[in-house]
Amino acid sequence: MSVFRHLFVAALSLAATLAALSVSAQQVDAPIQRLLQDHGEVIAKSSRRTIGPAIDALAASGLDEAQTVLERWRDKEMWLNEETGLFVYAEEIDRRTIRTFDFATGEALGEFEDKAYKQLKPNSGIRGLINAALVRFQLTDPNPAARRAALNAIERDADETHLAALRAVVEAEDNPNIAARMARLERLLTIQFDKDEAQRIAAIESFSGDLSVEVRAALNPLVVTKLDVDTTVPEDADVVRTLTPGSEALSVDAAYGLLVSRELAVERISRDAQKAALIANIDGDRVGGIQVASLDTEASRDLAYAELVRLGAVEPAATDAEVSEVLEQFVFFERYSAVPPEIALAAQAVLTGIENKVAVNQTIDLGLDALSLASIYFLAAIGLAITFGVMGVINMAHGEFIMMGAYTGYVVQLFVPDYTLSILLAIPLAFIVTFGAGVAMERLVIRWLYHRPLETLLATFGISIALQQLAKNIFGTQARPLTAPGWLDGSLVFNDIVSISYIRIAIFVLALLFLALFLIVMNRTRLGLEVRAVTQNPRMAASMGINPDRINMLTFGFGSGIAGIAGVAIGLYAKVTSEMGSDYIVQSFMTVVVGGVGNIWGTLLGATMVGTLQKGIEWLNPSNTLAAQTYMILFIILFIQFRPKGIIALKGRAAEA
Amino acid sequence: MSTLLEVSGVSVSFDGFKAINNLTFQIGEAEMRAVIGPNGAGKTTFMDIVTGKTRPDEGHVLWGEKSQSLLSMSESQIAQAGVGRKFQRPTVFEDQTVAENLMLALKKKRGPLAVLGFRASGADQKRVVELAEEIGLSAALDRKSGELSHGQKQWLEIGMLLAQEPKLLLVDEPAAGMTPAEREHTTEILVEAAKTRAVVVVEHDMEFVRRLNCKVTVLHEGSVLAEGSIDHVTSDEAVIEVYLGR
Amino acid sequence: MTDTTLAPARQPIVKRYPVVLVFLGCLALFTLGITVLSEGFGIGVISTSFIKTLGKTLCLCLVALAMDLVWGYCGILSLGHMAFFGIGGYAIGMWLMYARTEIIVVQSLAAAPLPPTAQEISDGIATQIFGVVGASEFPPIWAFAHSLPLQLAAVVLVPGLLALVFGWLAFRSRVTGVYLSILTQAMTLALALYLFQNDSGLRGNNGLSGLQNLPGLGHVPQSTVSIWFFWASALALGLGFVLCTWVVSGKFGSVIRAIRDDESRVRFLGYPVEAYKLFVFTLTAVIAAIAGALYYPQAGIINPAEIAPIASIYLAVWVAIGGRGRLYGAVIGAAFVSLLSTYFTGGQAPDINLGFYTIQWVNWWTVLLGLSFVVVTLFAPKGLGGLFDLIAARTSPNRHGADLGPDVGALREKEAEK
Repeated sequence: MSVFRHLFVAALSLAATLAALSVSAQQVDAPIQRLLQDHGEVIAKSSRRTIGPAIDALAASGLDEAQTVLERWRDKEMWLNEETGLFVYAEEIDRRTIRTFDFATGEALGEFEDKAYKQLKPNSGIRGLINAALVRFQLTDPNPAARRAALNAIERDADETHLAALRAVVEAEDNPNIAARMARLERLLTIQFDKDEAQRIAAIESFSGDLSVEVRAALNPLVVTKLDVDTTVPEDADVVRTLTPGSEALSVDAAYGLLVSRELAVERISRDAQKAALIANIDGDRVGGIQVASLDTEASRDLAYAELVRLGAVEPAATDAEVSEVLEQFVFFERYSAVPPEIALAAQAVLTGIENKVAVNQTIDLGLDALSLASIYFLAAIGLAITFGVMGVINMAHGEFIMMGAYTGYVVQLFVPDYTLSILLAIPLAFIVTFGAGVAMERLVIRWLYHRPLETLLATFGISIALQQLAKNIFGTQARPLTAPGWLDGSLVFNDIVSISYIRIAIFVLALLFLALFLIVMNRTRLGLEVRAVTQNPRMAASMGINPDRINMLTFGFGSGIAGIAGVAIGLYAKVTSEMGSDYIVQSFMTVVVGGVGNIWGTLLGATMVGTLQKGIEWLNPSNTLAAQTYMILFIILFIQFRPKGIIALKGRAAEA
Repeated sequence: MSTLLEVSGVSVSFDGFKAINNLTFQIGEAEMRAVIGPNGAGKTTFMDIVTGKTRPDEGHVLWGEKSQSLLSMSESQIAQAGVGRKFQRPTVFEDQTVAENLMLALKKKRGPLAVLGFRASGADQKRVVELAEEIGLSAALDRKSGELSHGQKQWLEIGMLLAQEPKLLLVDEPAAGMTPAEREHTTEILVEAAKTRAVVVVEHDMEFVRRLNCKVTVLHEGSVLAEGSIDHVTSDEAVIEVYLGR
Repeated sequence: MTDTTLAPARQPIVKRYPVVLVFLGCLALFTLGITVLSEGFGIGVISTSFIKTLGKTLCLCLVALAMDLVWGYCGILSLGHMAFFGIGGYAIGMWLMYARTEIIVVQSLAAAPLPPTAQEISDGIATQIFGVVGASEFPPIWAFAHSLPLQLAAVVLVPGLLALVFGWLAFRSRVTGVYLSILTQAMTLALALYLFQNDSGLRGNNGLSGLQNLPGLGHVPQSTVSIWFFWASALALGLGFVLCTWVVSGKFGSVIRAIRDDESRVRFLGYPVEAYKLFVFTLTAVIAAIAGALYYPQAGIINPAEIAPIASIYLAVWVAIGGRGRLYGAVIGAAFVSLLSTYFTGGQAPDINLGFYTIQWVNWWTVLLGLSFVVVTLFAPKGLGGLFDLIAARTSPNRHGADLGPDVGALREKEAEK
């Protein structure tokens, strides 16, 4: 029975072996498997620190299967047969069973229990290395999109090996765009990784005047410096500059710290450490023979500490006088620490050139910013230029008309979801709403107060306060969005530094349109003629059949309506809040006053000046926009000292009217 | 007779329009002068320049024995130096009484601290009463000047001018809007004033000017067209052409 | 008959202006009454927090007096006087905060084994005060914070100098009317924005706090301290009223009212108009600062939002509602409106249920205030003070007929013809 049984088992196992053979036999001697075996131990260990050579060997092998290996490995599909020590890739069939494949042929080897196999699970660090290695295969991928993706991957995280890979493929690339990118990347990598100095310098110099961020990112590490100290300044080529301790670039503490770390000086003791040492050595009511109660000055503490040093109770420490004495014996200087000085100097020269160009471009960009801010101020102020400049009526609620226009836009967007359509609807609606509000205000309040400017100011203040609170009551205190149509998203990009968003361009265009509209209405229409007549001499105008009441009403409505449209524009650019009006009102008045009352060109100049000024000051002190506004207002107060009537001033009798 | 005010070669233009063109004018210490001229001749601008309201583009304005230049002085300094001005429209402080108006104008120290410590003495009050009598407003001393009739306001302003004790009075159309009797009275006050100081009267009304019986200067397009007695200038061809003719 | 206007002579001011006597009498009665009703010194009917509110209101009345002097009498609609008020508060607040923190720091350091050095105390105070803005060193403007006399001098000198410089620049270039208002508003805005920065040296938008605690007087209860400040505020208001009355009476008042009504005419009378404006502007700035220095220890906290232009606008609102051009009007307006504001915005006023909507006064009071301001400007330019004229009118001849002159409120035709 038992013999029989043995035979049976033997036959079965033979059959099984035969069956396995009939599926496929693993090619043990295939080059890829041999390569894997060479690095088998490291691969099986899978440590981020030691895995490098294995991946490099795979990548550099030139074997087609290497890509498969790397991809399967990365995707945690590579398994190690712990009995044979062979590597396969496999797919899991169920929790216990896997189907394995041969790397060399890609053919299935059969289904096996996974007990004998160990799944290789590379951690994220290793996967990153594998990905970098895979890039080389992707660079020659027939699909251009894959090649671009590979270039992106290299740009993100380049290493030395990519340089060789790029050089190998750059000649063969037939897509001109990709070829150009490859060539550029190759030069960038040359700067970073090439061993040959002349090559590196040539590559550095080829980027002269290039504004892109990655060039600066590649060059900046080359000019890194390190603080060094000696008794005299060495004649070495890599010395960048000498520093004086106590200057802005080198504090006394840092300088002395360097000396201490080089063991050129004794450590200085901080006040806190000194205090701790004194406390530790309190003996009854005395420290170092000095009364504890008298240790309330720094001088007496120094004395006590010196006494402790003399007694050997504490380590000696340098006093301030000693520190400065020691510092005087040394010179401090910086030297290039990253690369040989020739390369650093070349990089520095190119960087300086780039920085100059960057500065020019930044100025242009700043100019564009200032221009767009100016057009916003102009938009906010043009309505005031009409009511204040032309009619002489001061309207402190002007800012609230801007707010009303913006909220009109917001309400329209609640009902009309299409952004383009809603903005097109919002502009005339905002005009109508604020025109109506302006006419109502003129009829109810302003017209009783003509020629009493201070009272107009106060009454309109009252309206402003009431409208602001009303908006708060209706819409709440949080900011409401006014969304621009999609075609206004994004920016017009000139280069890496100079760009301007389409929304700002739109506001600029809108400002120009309003300027044209104002000029046409005032100079080319009957209404404009009548407005000018009424503002210059209402009685005379009335006697010629013009109704001054009607004209005043329309003019005020027109000015208010424009404020409403400005509100829509400003709402697109900033958030809609109940306080947005008051954010602009002072600047708007400044714009009108600085420009010169009663002259639209003055308002334009005023807006340009206020906008440029604000951007300029912000640029000088970028961290602090509050300070920028403070200084701008101060500047305007001073400006008004010298030109009380604004940039474009009316003279003579007209000015007194 | 020494010269009190000397205006020489003065020009001023507003946006290209020459309001005053190389104007030269002189007046002695106790002299009455009438300045006439059509609208836009520069009469008011001339007064503005003398009182410091308008700065000329070129020329000199010299004052008093020391020939001080008025161009470097402010309006209030010029007024303190002794130039008094009466405006075309009566400008008195309507919210304050006649007495307060006169007290304000009385020749005293003008600085804020001096005024803060000022208490009217008996002599000051007597002077105010005298002035009120002179301008016929004795009965109205305690009334707010806003309540006065147009003619009374004109007189009050003349009274304030006299209270300032100026060496030179510049009077712009003093008789405008007055009844014949009031004009008579105004003429008397001005003639009386001219005995001790210089008076320049700008006037449209030829009859009024004739009654003043003084030297007349005719302005045209910002410069002097003719100067002399009323009869002399009214017979001048050029004057008839631009002003009296038609 | 000339006696009323010209009689001045050497009589004391209270005799020439009986309103001063009436005002001082009312103020004294009020102070006495509140003291008797207070917790600290009396029967305890009125809570300490309400005493503080009343004390603060007296300070607001004082700054309103200053506003009336500069606007109602001199015609300068300044939108910067609450900035001076705030500077006064900051100046005294710096000392209060420094001195109190110093006591705390010295106490905590006293427990250490070694006695503290001056530097350690100073560092400790600086860390305590400027920790919130991430700094641990004293900015230069705190150089005098340790000294009460110097900070008290700063209460007067800093706003005085600022007003002097700003006024000199503005008046010199003949900026008047609404331009001047906008310029003062810009100044206020600039100051507020500056103080909002963390590196302004005054704790940015945190402001100064804990000002109600008097250094060294920790054992005195707030109910007593509040009465002290109440008395001080009443005294300051009384003195301020006498000072302002003295200034606007007599010839100086005559000159500044003349400047208000026709500036260039005054100039042609030989008065240096700019000097007068500068004097009034600076004087009122100092009065405002003193009011602020009394106000903020009662409020307990000051931050840059208190200086924002809107505060100065409210000040103008009070004076306008009270009736500008009369000093008691300003006091009435400030007291009336600020107490009403406290009532409505403090959440004490009952909501009004309209069925479809509930009016919550916290939200709607500002709307009402803004609109009432329009109404006052349009229909009652004399403000609440005008009510006194109505009473006076009963005993004086009827005033009928149309208004004389272009301005509403000018004298009546009939009266003119009398």
